[in-house]
This record gives sequence, structure tokens and C-alpha cells, in this order.
Amino acid sequence: MPIYSFYIFDRHCECIYTKQWHEAERYQSAAAATARRASITSAPDGVSLPQAPGRLSVQDDAKLIFGVVFSLRNMVRKLSGPDDSFISFRTNGYKLHYYETPTNLRFVMLTDTKMSNLRAALHQIYVNLYVEFVVKNPLSPVEHPGGVGVGVEMFEYGLERFIKSIEAE
Amino acid sequence: MVILSVMILNKAGGLIYQRDFHEGLHKLSSNDFLVLAGTFHGVHAITSRISPVHGSGGLEVLESENFRMQCFQTLTGTKFLIFAEPHQPNIDVICRRVYELYADYVMKNPFYQIEMPIRCEAFDRHLMAYLKPKQ
Repeated sequence: MPIYSFYIFDRHCECIYTKQWHEAERYQSAAAATARRASITSAPDGVSLPQAPGRLSVQDDAKLIFGVVFSLRNMVRKLSGPDDSFISFRTNGYKLHYYETPTNLRFVMLTDTKMSNLRAALHQIYVNLYVEFVVKNPLSPVEHPGGVGVGVEMFEYGLERFIKSIEAE
Repeated sequence: MVILSVMILNKAGGLIYQRDFHEGLHKLSSNDFLVLAGTFHGVHAITSRISPVHGSGGLEVLESENFRMQCFQTLTGTKFLIFAEPHQPNIDVICRRVYELYADYVMKNPFYQIEMPIRCEAFDRHLMAYLKPKQ
């Protein structure tokens, strides 16, 4: 089952890491859908179709995603107390998994709708990859404004391998 | 079947019905519920925008440690939010049934003004009988 994207937000609500997978396939299917629509309205052939209409840049997407998880987390807390936590939500196209550490570091993953709960996996990314390769890296700054020091080679490599293993399950 | 709470939002995001059926969620003031409904309405719209795949709709199921919320949006934009226990199966069936009750006892009530808060005694009664039988 495909995993679409992964985001880390720090305690200043800033996106410090983002990674996308299967982008080409997704754009292709979107372009195909647009092309179908275009052919219905009999658009002239040979017009190069841009990417999916209304698609936002990765940074804008990250901001919206943060807004959504932030609102939903507050909503859940308001409804059932501060010890409850928001785990995931699903639409008919994708599923968003959420994990928050006690230090307000937030991990978000967008996957296929049929994916089972990935909270444990996000926790593992935090413990085995983020803490090991980012926090324990002596060259890495304490805070990561603009994502400085997060996308290090070992972290990227470990994440890539871990995502492959989840997708293969 | 344990349904904690039911909310109905009109197409503008206003809360038109809220009722608790079992203990489990906090008791909030009606103003807080209105704010919550408005927030959810906005979030629901954004969730379809941030979709990584083409043509996704808005939020359908939300899971947390203590509850699970199903959102059912009708073709006219009215949203039914059903709060249940985390492992409650078939909430979508319950959603449809609540929608049916809404259609029967709210929409067919000649005194009901559309998009306004629901104050229909028959709807209350039937909803209670369906979601909290034997009481």
C-alpha cells in the first residue's frame, strides 16, 4: 500500500522536514483525469496539460496540513480531555496519521486509505531515526529553523528503508 | 451499540443539532459546540484540498484514543457527525439511519425552518429510541 508523503513539524509550528513518494504516478493519474475532462469539452489536441489544477506547492501543502492537524488535535482535546490524542483521519482518497511527542514535535504521514494504524511506525521514526541521527548528531543545531540539520544522509537513508518496509507489508 | 453524541451541521457550518446519548465526551457549553462545528466545517473543506491523490472528498472518519467520529455529508451539504466508541463497527449504517430520521421528522415537519436549529420533539424521540433503546 502506497505511502504518499511525510512531514515533521517542530514546536514552533514550522515544517522542518518533508518528503514525497509516488509523485509521478499521482500526477499522471491527475493529468489523465484532466485530459479526460478536456476531451469531453473537446479541447484542441497537442495542448500540453499542466499539473493537476489547483495543486499547491509543497510548502503551502505543509502549512495546510499543519492547520488541519492542529485544529483537529485541539478539537479532540476539547471534546474528551487533555489526555486524549488525535490518531488519524481518513477521507475517500487518503488517510492521514498523526503522532505527537511530549515536546510538541509532530509527525504526519499521508497514506493509502487501507493502511492500518501507523502511530507506532511514526513513533519508531521518532525514536530510531530522528533521535538517533538528528538529535544525537553533534553537528546539528538544537532548533531546526527552515529544516537545517534534519535531512541528513543517515536520516534520509533510514527513512527510505523504513518506508519501503512498511509499504511491502 | 454505544453512540456518544450526534451533531448536525447545516451547509454553512452552523450547528443545528447536538445531543449526547452516553457518557464519554466532555460537557461543553453551547457556544463551545458552535465554535467546534465551525472549525470542523473549515477543516473538512481543507482536507479535500490537501489530498495527495486526485478527486478526494472531505474527512470521513476521525480516530482518537477515546472516540471515533464519522462524518456523513449529504448531497445538499448538511453534515452528520456521529461520535462513537473507538471500535464501534458499522457507524456508516447508523449515519444513514440518522439521516433517514432527519428526513422523516425534521424535513417533513411543516413548522421547521430550513437551516435553523432543530427543535422537533418527534425527531428527538425517535433518535433516542434508535440510539439509546430501553429507556
